[in-house]
Amino acid sequence: MLDTAREIPTPEGIELTLRLAGPVVRALAWLLDLFARLGFLIVLSIPIRLLGELGVGLSLILYFAMEWLYPALFEVYAKGATPGKKAFGLAVLHSDGTPVQMPAALIRNLLRAVDFLPLIYGFGLVSMLLSRDFQRIGDIAAGTVVVYRDNAVRHGLIPNAVPAVPPLPLTAAEQRVLLDLAARVPQLTEERAHELAGLVPYLTGNRSDAGALARLLGIANHLIGRRT
Amino acid sequence: MRQDIFEETYRARWAEFADWLKSLGPRRADQSVATTIDVLDIPARYRELCQQLALARDRQYSAELIDRLGQLVLAGHQALYGARSRSTDQLMQFFRGGFPRSVRREIRFVLVAALLFFGPLLLLTAIIPSYPDFAYIILPAEALDGVQEMYGSAAQQLGRKRQADSDVAMFGFYIFNNVRIGFQTFASGLLFGIGALFYLVYNGLFIGAVTGHLVHAGLARNFFSFTAGHSAFELCAICLSGAAGLKLGYALIAPGRRTRGAALRIAAKESVPLVVGLSTMLLIAAGIEAFWSPRTFVPPTAKYAVGAAMWILLLTYFAFGGRTRGA
Repeated sequence: MLDTAREIPTPEGIELTLRLAGPVVRALAWLLDLFARLGFLIVLSIPIRLLGELGVGLSLILYFAMEWLYPALFEVYAKGATPGKKAFGLAVLHSDGTPVQMPAALIRNLLRAVDFLPLIYGFGLVSMLLSRDFQRIGDIAAGTVVVYRDNAVRHGLIPNAVPAVPPLPLTAAEQRVLLDLAARVPQLTEERAHELAGLVPYLTGNRSDAGALARLLGIANHLIGRRT
Repeated sequence: MRQDIFEETYRARWAEFADWLKSLGPRRADQSVATTIDVLDIPARYRELCQQLALARDRQYSAELIDRLGQLVLAGHQALYGARSRSTDQLMQFFRGGFPRSVRREIRFVLVAALLFFGPLLLLTAIIPSYPDFAYIILPAEALDGVQEMYGSAAQQLGRKRQADSDVAMFGFYIFNNVRIGFQTFASGLLFGIGALFYLVYNGLFIGAVTGHLVHAGLARNFFSFTAGHSAFELCAICLSGAAGLKLGYALIAPGRRTRGAALRIAAKESVPLVVGLSTMLLIAAGIEAFWSPRTFVPPTAKYAVGAAMWILLLTYFAFGGRTRGA
């Protein structure tokens, strides 16, 4: 299936599922971090100005720390996320699913300098698009991935409907498709939702349009355990 | 077993495990999460959870249950396999032995980097006093004039463009500038080593041209008495950053029997000690350069002695540090 979910085998013989984050959401998180850092520097520059020459030295050190250490320190000590990543629900993990530690965090953030070339993350973007796991060059070298922290379907998003038992047993993958669709219905136009719901007559029993959609939502409600 | 019975049977145990995970997180004053599981039982409980997830998948229970158990297992995996050791101990260990050991392990890259850096540096320093025009090929005339002013006999503070710049301001500047150059040299090694190569030779030529020019201008005494103190730490750190960068590039050019990605991952991991060590060295160099080197009341002989002592200290550290069993 064309999907951003990655299965990671563990010593216990099961597979963990990570949901990888793509370039767009990561760019947004980076922008947010950029503004956060700029804001912080601007606010701090006022008291620092009052310190005169001492302040000049301090502000240069601060600037250095903000540029090179800010991401690494946050990723190691704040559950894998800078404030920007946190706002978008992202986190950095080792590729084996464990929390990122200092060596890997240092590598991925120092090599940012190369990802940034030739213009605002040109190499980083190409690398992300070419690699299987959306890794920029720094991620490949460090062995890290950026994932969505909450990787399950948000069940709260599924609209309420009268629960209905599916007419035939569904595999886990089929269930997941159905739940994904149901969670996305509020974002779709009515026509598109009806069109999609019409694709599975063996579940909806050849009901038309609104009936088919209601039926699918009912099944989705049943699947997440809502009962009448 | 039907799903609802399955869930009913294990719900309490899952909740206990979730409580244990919560108890690891940052504790809030108002609510203390009590865990009812003995720490020694955790691995067994985790394996049990994994088995239940596998069962749930195999029996095609609902995706919702599988997701829920999957989240719990993922959090458990992170808690169990992501455990950290005490980082302050590690840091001490690192400077006692780990750092010099990794410098010796990467001695081939260090030597190549030293050749690329000290080669042009020493060559220009030796040539330019006899062929002074050579300096103008490397650097523009204004730059050379500026340097000459910094070390001229009129300078109250050696090595400063503006005499009024305070020590602390310069300290900040040296950190901001020099550590960044170190990091850039390292990172640009990723471009098949070309970046690191460039920075090494470029910095070698630059420093060599400046040194040669000042020697020719008869300011050798001022210049060397300024640079002697921090030269060991700064020059060796530049050399190491080049070595670390070359190591990255070499992994891409000649990955051996690994894929390029795997070779790069291993090389990057092995170069971390070098990078951490060299940035510390640059911090020390910045301190010396800002607070000791510009002092004009210290006689040059004393400064040369301190500088020589630094070189001996540093090279001894790299050659012998961390060789004993205890370190």
